[in-house]
Amino acid sequence: MIDEAGITELIRVKIPDAQVRITDLTGTMDHYDIRVRSAAFKGVPLIDAHRMVSNALREAHADGRIHAMQIKTDVPES
Amino acid sequence: MNEIREKIDKEVAENTILVYGKGTKDAPQCGFTLETIEFFNHFGYPFQVIDVLQDTSKRQVLAEMTDWPTLPKVFIAGKFYGDTDILLPMAQNGELQKVLEDAFAGKGIKPTVKLH
Repeated sequence: MIDEAGITELIRVKIPDAQVRITDLTGTMDHYDIRVRSAAFKGVPLIDAHRMVSNALREAHADGRIHAMQIKTDVPES
Repeated sequence: MNEIREKIDKEVAENTILVYGKGTKDAPQCGFTLETIEFFNHFGYPFQVIDVLQDTSKRQVLAEMTDWPTLPKVFIAGKFYGDTDILLPMAQNGELQKVLEDAFAGKGIKPTVKLH
């Protein structure tokens, strides 16, 4: 288990400007919908933007704190 | 590890659309795997689902080779496409339909028309 603040913190280590919106999908604090908005995704293929987020959460996923996650990424409107 | 990698390469080569997931087509064990199966059912092209839920070493090799930690993992015509978080936006802008047409064009396979 990990809480929403914990996930946001891990993402911001790798993507400092990330705006993060998190939904606990099951109420069990381990299945999350994670939406990340960052200028760092500009010009980056979608699959690589997702890798940036999932890699930031790699350990939390590997050790089971996060069981499952779906990710959406986008770039802030300038 | 090499044996596992060889097996994965063979599976990817043999199946134009391949989903590594949790559970089987008939009995998915995870909501995201189910979602992916429903996603491809909608397109009507043949696809294969390989269950790796219990196979920790294969999951590890898959995660390393794709740089993608989660299941399901989707390969189309040998290329890795992540999961429906990637495929859904691709379907919405028409990119995926083109990828699938090209993937199956050489095989003479057309999508089956489904009556809903």
